[in-house]
Amino acid sequence: MEDVVTHEEDWKSCFAELGPGLVLFARQFVRSIADAEDIVQDAFVRFWRKQHSVNDKGLLYATVRSVALDLLRRDARRARREASASADMEQTTEPQFDFDDGSQRALAAAIDLLPVEQREVLVMKIWNELTFAEIASALAISQNTAASRYRYALAALKKNFVVHE
Amino acid sequence: MNDFSELETELKKLRPRSVSPDLNARIEVSLAEEAMGRGTATAGVLPKQSRFRLNWFALGLGLAAAATFLILARVNVDRPSKSTGLAMLTPAPITPAAKAVDSFVPSAMTQVLYDTKDEGLHFTDGQNEPMRRLRSRKRETVQWKNPQTGASLRVSYPTEEVTLVPISGQ
Repeated sequence: MEDVVTHEEDWKSCFAELGPGLVLFARQFVRSIADAEDIVQDAFVRFWRKQHSVNDKGLLYATVRSVALDLLRRDARRARREASASADMEQTTEPQFDFDDGSQRALAAAIDLLPVEQREVLVMKIWNELTFAEIASALAISQNTAASRYRYALAALKKNFVVHE
Repeated sequence: MNDFSELETELKKLRPRSVSPDLNARIEVSLAEEAMGRGTATAGVLPKQSRFRLNWFALGLGLAAAATFLILARVNVDRPSKSTGLAMLTPAPITPAAKAVDSFVPSAMTQVLYDTKDEGLHFTDGQNEPMRRLRSRKRETVQWKNPQTGASLRVSYPTEEVTLVPISGQ
């Protein structure tokens, strides 16, 4: 029973550190916080009970992504709704960030306009501080592809952000 | 190379929304259920512990194999050994040879008469008068017992007996 308490503290401290980034990552696939949290809950529990190392961030994010895609596949109607939401994001998306000013709000809106392939790389790199190797592992792509998507995202963001500014 | 450094700095200033307390509670419940059902999970924060995990399939297979073995063993125990059966089938229990067989002594004998058939009158050699021939079918069962060990042996065999009955003059 003592072990249970110890391990409980372990997952809590681990999740306190990783949770917000994981939910933000999950939000790249679904448009509501509730869905994103459902995904993270499922993925984190699955990851934790299989006793993977928390240092293996690539695998952790791959698990979140896998659960998210499974969710979308399971519910075709929901997938269509999500696709439709992606096309008209600004009207339906709940904010992913806490804003200090209008400039940050515009930057967040510019992020939402990015293709999902670029957004997921950006989220893992900026807010979760994954290396390109870890991102490549999570997405099952090469490091070069991960780095290019990141650069494309920044380039597009800069362009869109300037426009929105 | 990095002309995006200013943008990256701006991006890092954006704070992802904090996780709802409800999510923490839900994960806690899920992990607690896991801990109750399968033992506590760790995700590498603590070194992995090698723990005994019951393999139900292997256990079931083992039990089935053991049960099969016991059934076969029981059958073999119940079946009389060939050597004993052959030795005791000798239909002469009272002969000296039989007595030599580890002091088995005859203890019982039964005769069951199934039927008696009248085969009519027959003249046999050296007789002037006909005789009635009766054919009886029986089953005899002889039992031997070893008083020292308490072991018993029972032999049952069919017999046929022909009896010639003189016809009394009338």
